[in-house]
Amino acid sequence: MRLRSKIMAMRIVRVDPELKDLIPGFLNNRRQDALTIRAALAQEDMETVQILGHSIRGCAGGYGFNALSELGGILERGAQNRDSEAITNAVDELQAYLEQIEIIYD
Amino acid sequence: MAEPTKAMQYRVLLVDDDRDMISLLSSWLKDAGFEVDPVMSGSEAMARIDVIRPHLVITDLVMQGMDGMTLLSKIHRQNPLMPVIMLSGKAQIADAVKAMHLGIAEFLIKPIAKEELVARVRYTLRLAAGESDSGLNFGKEIIYRSEKIGQLLEQAKLLAATDVTILITGATGTGKEALAKAIHEGGARKDQPFVAINCAAIPEQLLESELFGHEKGAFTGAQTKHEGLFQAANKGTIFLDEVGDMPLGLQVKLLRVLQDFAVRPVGSVRGIPVNVRVISATNTDLEQGVKSSRFREDLYYRLNVVPLHLPPLAERREDIQPLLNHFLKRLSQRDNKKRKRFAPEAVEYLASAPWPGNIRQLMNVVELCCALTNTDIIPPAMAQKALRDQPAHVQTLKDAKEDFERSYLVSVLRVTNGHVSHAARLAGRNRTEFYKLLKQHHIEPEEFRTSRQASEED
Repeated sequence: MRLRSKIMAMRIVRVDPELKDLIPGFLNNRRQDALTIRAALAQEDMETVQILGHSIRGCAGGYGFNALSELGGILERGAQNRDSEAITNAVDELQAYLEQIEIIYD
Repeated sequence: MAEPTKAMQYRVLLVDDDRDMISLLSSWLKDAGFEVDPVMSGSEAMARIDVIRPHLVITDLVMQGMDGMTLLSKIHRQNPLMPVIMLSGKAQIADAVKAMHLGIAEFLIKPIAKEELVARVRYTLRLAAGESDSGLNFGKEIIYRSEKIGQLLEQAKLLAATDVTILITGATGTGKEALAKAIHEGGARKDQPFVAINCAAIPEQLLESELFGHEKGAFTGAQTKHEGLFQAANKGTIFLDEVGDMPLGLQVKLLRVLQDFAVRPVGSVRGIPVNVRVISATNTDLEQGVKSSRFREDLYYRLNVVPLHLPPLAERREDIQPLLNHFLKRLSQRDNKKRKRFAPEAVEYLASAPWPGNIRQLMNVVELCCALTNTDIIPPAMAQKALRDQPAHVQTLKDAKEDFERSYLVSVLRVTNGHVSHAARLAGRNRTEFYKLLKQHHIEPEEFRTSRQASEED
């Protein structure tokens, strides 16, 4: 619950207007990532979870989504530790966050 | 929106198998004025290099198929000088060390901020330019790593190709003269003279003669005709430092020169045409000077066609470390001694100091540290001591008086072409006293004489 409240506190995101055209595609890709991670987890394919977590962590902060970057780190570590519960929690957070996110371009 | 820059001529090959990362980095680099060619694998990158001949490659480390290390090795096998920046999602020392051994230019950890990426790209390109392409060598004497100075130099480079009049503003010690010189050397006048004068250091009656020259007999002591600095700078550039301190009476004369492109030496009725580019600089607020009637408004607009501002060192702390290295290297070459280094804690301390005297103060601190340290590594305590002992921009009254006296003596000797009797008369001193003053300041009047003058005096 603590993680959720922390991540949700970051749901209003200020983004550089220069990146406006890229944002819908970027968020759609993260929604797709969430589905892929759930499917990989079901098959205990930790390598895919780790790659996607790593990629989200490295990329999201640059777009201004620090909460996503943090979740990416949790997914990556969860996969390294084969911690299914941590991964499930993080992917729940990811999907809830993507549904509630509000973007201000300024 | 970033300012448009000349960086458009730089092509960057961007390699990452993450589409969102490619989009993000492309957007940032294009916004900063670079031409970006994105590819999603190492093999695509190898195919593109020969076609587009990039100035720089940026690659991710971890990629499907060919990874960043393999790509780096392949690139350098074909083109050993190609600068490559590697991005990694993990700060792993082993990777960074391996990449350094393979000749990487920069190893950057994701997530990375736009400003840092653009600054590192500019820095890498600049270093590479020094090795491979003299056309990209603008301002090579100016040491920096910051984005602020990078952008300023991009602007200055564009201005160097023109003859536009420039006003450089910035606090004392920020490198105004170095920037003016870079602009001169980056333009078509580079093989012609660059003449600098500090308008604050010379009294009004001498400054006019210094700038515009005088005729023989124009005033007491003017035994020979004197060519002013504007004529000396003909076809080149004149740099008027501390122009804000120029007396009002001279401002109108300078304005006339800028309007008519001709100087009228003191005591002459004829104007002499000059073809001079004017770059001026000030550490005072000229607009305020105009408001308080200390500076002519019409001259302000003549000089301030394009303003360039040099930020203080405290606003570009990322430049401190490269500047420290530069001065250490220069001192070791000058003194023919082994190069010293600052201990990491000393660098940390210096990087966070306030530096009110800017680069000049930093240079003095490095010199003091080198002089007082016997070991190869300069400890933090020495850096602290050197900084405390450096009163920065505020000189003592004694030092300021001595500086002024020296500049004054030099000016008088220059005006009188090294004729000591005339110079002494002009200064209101007798010959013996005047000689004593010259000796105190280690000034040799012979150095100011023309050969004809010397034989007359003898």
